[in-house]
Amino acid sequence: MHPIRNNGYKIQSKDLTIYYGDRKALNGISMQIPEHKVTAIIGPSGCGKSTFLRSLNRMNDLIEDFRAEGEVMVDGINVYDSRVDVVELRKKVGMIFQKSNPFPKSIYENIAYGPRINGVRDKGRLDEIVEKSLRRAALWDEVKDDLRKSGLALSGGQQQRLCIARALAVDPEILLMDEPASALDPIATAKIEELIHELKENYTIVIVTHNMQQAARVSDYTAFLYMGELVEFDETKKIFTNPSMKQTEDYITGRFG
Amino acid sequence: MPRHFELELDQLRTMLIRMGSLVEEQIELSVKAILESNPSIAQIVIERDRKVDEFDNEIDKQCMRVFALTQPVAIDLRLLMAALKINSDLERIGDIAVNLAERVEPLSAYGNFVKSTSLGPMAAAAREMVKQAIDAFVNSDVELAKKVLQSDDRVDTMDREMFALMLKTMKEDPKVIEPAAHVMILSRHIERLADHATNIAEDVVFLVNAKIIKHQAEG
Repeated sequence: MHPIRNNGYKIQSKDLTIYYGDRKALNGISMQIPEHKVTAIIGPSGCGKSTFLRSLNRMNDLIEDFRAEGEVMVDGINVYDSRVDVVELRKKVGMIFQKSNPFPKSIYENIAYGPRINGVRDKGRLDEIVEKSLRRAALWDEVKDDLRKSGLALSGGQQQRLCIARALAVDPEILLMDEPASALDPIATAKIEELIHELKENYTIVIVTHNMQQAARVSDYTAFLYMGELVEFDETKKIFTNPSMKQTEDYITGRFG
Repeated sequence: MPRHFELELDQLRTMLIRMGSLVEEQIELSVKAILESNPSIAQIVIERDRKVDEFDNEIDKQCMRVFALTQPVAIDLRLLMAALKINSDLERIGDIAVNLAERVEPLSAYGNFVKSTSLGPMAAAAREMVKQAIDAFVNSDVELAKKVLQSDDRVDTMDREMFALMLKTMKEDPKVIEPAAHVMILSRHIERLADHATNIAEDVVFLVNAKIIKHQAEG
């Protein structure tokens, strides 16, 4: 895929409607997600925020009865176009999940796994990728002396950063994060948030979070979804000081939801 | 969904309203004491300032509690910010009422001179601004707040005119230097009352429209 700049928007959904069988999970979502910024998706459970996130790298494809209408443009290419190679797409659009899921392998192998599949064989090159990815994920200093240790032996927060490092190892341009810190304690959460802040220099980040304060802290833009509809999309500072829509205000101030 | 912290916000609003009506009364009494040369009314104002200060502390504490425990956003955040600022304006208004009351004693021998000036109407204009600013807050009434902002110029003009007139009077008749000097200072105090009312009105616009208008700021 060739990178095409779209006025600084890395991702654009156009009238995206998603069905699971008869159920409409998303209804005509049009959203423009700027490059090298953090965009948070908030909304009550079942509002479609994870569905939206997962539609950006076609993680929903595996769900039975899944059907998408409309477009999701990444760098100007519709990811739902039949000619799109999903493996290539997911290399470009990495994902971090709520529950960290390292492979039951060493720290080193967790990171080297992706590049190896992509054909990197040279040991020196792999070492380089492992170190760079761990550094970018702010984990290097904590694990550099024992890269042979199992990824599963790390703490919860470290495991999550390991997963971020693993995602970075295949050189993505976009990172999708689905509640990346909801299973972590406040200190590990703060580290992930700090990391997100650093990563946006090089990556476009879209994060789904239930934690409104977290959305306020880490994101530049916020989208509020409710019952499958995009209620409001704006700069985070605007959403959290003076939202335009009453529904948004009611949700973020805890008056409903 | 009813929220326990909505109760805390209601308490905060109620405290501000009660404090507002207290300082309004403090102005009324201090002006009355001056115009009627009545030291016992002045004394009431001076003693009651303690109550104003108590409100000030309580409201600060309440704001801090809500900030710390609920991390307010949007309208709630703006209410708390406005409450903090309105609180300190009301407290200053209370202090000015005391400043006015404290001049009753030195002016007691000059009752007629004081009555001959336009302090009465000027104080009435400033008091009306304070009253309207508080009402604007209570009812989230931006139109009324804007009316307060417009009235400020009038009180400023009255203050300047008073200054010029007193200066002239002193030059013409050195015997009235003492009361005229006091009146000049009273006029300045009253002008400050109007300024605090203006601040409150600006906070009401911020609270309702999320627009910062003080210092002619945009947005």
